[in-house]
Amino acid sequence: MNPDATPSPSLLSDAAEPHARPTPAPVWLFVLLFLILYGGMIYFDSHGGSFNPQVYAPYRSLAGLTLYQPPASGPDLARGKAVYENVCGLCHNTDGTGKPNQAPPFAGSEWVLGSLNRMIRIPLLGLSGPIKVKDQEWNLAMPNMGAALSDDDLAAVLTYIRRSWGNQASAITPEQVKAVRAELGNRNQPATVDYLNTIAP
Amino acid sequence: MNHGPLIFLAAFFALAGSWSGFVLAPQLQVGQLQQTNTLGGGATYPQARSGLAQQGLQVYRANGCATCHSQQLRQSGTLCDVVLTDAGTNQPALIAALLTLKCGTVPTEAEQRAVIPANTNLPAAIQTWSEADAKQMLARLPQPVRQGMTKEQADAAAKTLTAAGAKAQIWIVPVGPDLARGWGRRRTVAEDFLFDNPVMPGSQRIGPDLANVGARLPDVSWHLRHLYAPRLTEPASTMPPYRFLFEQRKLGPAASPDALALPAPWAPPPDYGIIPKPEATALAAYLASLRAEAPLFVAPLTLPVASAAPAKPPAP
Repeated sequence: MNPDATPSPSLLSDAAEPHARPTPAPVWLFVLLFLILYGGMIYFDSHGGSFNPQVYAPYRSLAGLTLYQPPASGPDLARGKAVYENVCGLCHNTDGTGKPNQAPPFAGSEWVLGSLNRMIRIPLLGLSGPIKVKDQEWNLAMPNMGAALSDDDLAAVLTYIRRSWGNQASAITPEQVKAVRAELGNRNQPATVDYLNTIAP
Repeated sequence: MNHGPLIFLAAFFALAGSWSGFVLAPQLQVGQLQQTNTLGGGATYPQARSGLAQQGLQVYRANGCATCHSQQLRQSGTLCDVVLTDAGTNQPALIAALLTLKCGTVPTEAEQRAVIPANTNLPAAIQTWSEADAKQMLARLPQPVRQGMTKEQADAAAKTLTAAGAKAQIWIVPVGPDLARGWGRRRTVAEDFLFDNPVMPGSQRIGPDLANVGARLPDVSWHLRHLYAPRLTEPASTMPPYRFLFEQRKLGPAASPDALALPAPWAPPPDYGIIPKPEATALAAYLASLRAEAPLFVAPLTLPVASAAPAKPPAP
C-alpha cells in the first residue's frame, strides 16, 4: 500500500453520503398495475372456462363445448340393446324369437312392425288375454314392464326391437313415448287386443 | 425479528393459497373422476389395461421413457365439415343449393387437421365451382361439401342442404399442430389417464408424443423391433437401443416364435435368436394399449372411419 496516496476528496466529503428519505410512490405505477390486473382478469374470465373441469382448451365455456357435440345420428341401438337384454330378453329371448309358453316372438311380428301407437302401449300397460302373433295364438299375461323405464330408454328399446332380427320399421322417438304416456294418464288395467284395436294406428 | 408472527402468517397464507390452488382444487374437481360413456357408441371409456400392459407401465416408468416422450396432445381449435349423405329426390334444387354454398374443398394451411379427407376430382378453388362439379359430387356420396367451418356456418349450410331435400351431417374435426403431425385425432383429457398410476404426461418431446401410439402403431412386434434397434424401424430415430430388455439365446431345432425378425446388420449369429425378456413384452403391450382417441363429451369429434359409411337405410 502506498502511504503517499491521498484518499480522493469524494470519500472524505460528508455531502456525498447517500440518504434514504421517504418518497411518495408514483401514481402512474398504480395505474399501470391496475391496468395489468384488469387485462389479466378479462383474459382469465374468457379463457378460464368458469373453473369447470369439463371445459378444456380450446373450448372457452360449457356452452361452447355443448355446441360442438356431434348431433345424435339416428336412434341409439346400443342403448336399446342393453335395455332389451335387461328387461325384455328374459322372456322374449335375446334373439327376438320368443319362448314357448312365456312370450311371443318379436322377429317378424305384425304387432312390432305395425302401428307405432299400439306398440308403445303394450309395455306401458302390460298385455293380457288372447293375442295372435304370426298365425299363432298366445294367451298369457305380460306385466307393464315399460312403465318404470324412462321415455328415452323405452324409445330406444322399442326402436331396437323394430330394427333388429330382420325387422325394418320406423324408429320411435322419446317424444312419441311421452305423448302416449300422457294420453294414458292413470290407466292401470293391462291392455287387451280389443283395446289395442280401438287405438288409431 | 420484530414481526415474527406477521412473517409466519404471511408465509402460511402464501403456502396455503398455492396448495389450495394447485393441489386441493384439482383434487376436488377431477379427483373423483369415473369412467364415462363415449359419444354415440355408448361404450365405457377408458377400459382398464390388461395385466401385461399394467406391468408395462412400470417398465415405461423404470426406463424413464417419460423423460423424452410426452403423452399429452394439444388442440388449437375445432372445425366442422358438412357432409352430404343423401341427395334426396330434388336434384335441381340440391345443385342450386350447392352452387349458393360455393361448395368445394379448401383445406387451408391453418387447419392442421389429423387427416385431410380425400375429396378427389373436385376443384380446389371455390370460385370455379360449376354445375358439372356439383353433379360429379352427387355421384359419390357421402361427400364432404364444405370443410373447415365454424359450428354456426356449418349449421346454416346443413340447413340449406336439408331445405333442398338432401340429408347432411356435420362432422366435428379437432385441429392443431400436434394433430397435423398425425399423433392423434383429439386432445388428451383427464379421462385418458384414469388407469395410469403414476400418470406420466412427460414434459419434453425429444421423441414423438405417445398418447395415441397404440392406435398409430398397433403392431406389438413393431414396438419390440423398435426397442431393440430404433433405427431399424425409424431411420431418423435418436432413441437409444434398449437391448438389455432382450437376450440372445441359442435356438433349438425349431425356430422360436418369439425371436425378432431382424435384417442383416442387426441379425444375431446363425442358430441364435433375439428373444424379448418379460419386461420388453410388457412394455410393448403397454405401448400398444395407449389409445386416446375415443370421442368424449369433453373432447368431441367425429371418427371418420365410424361414420364414413352410415348404414344404408332400407329402400322405401
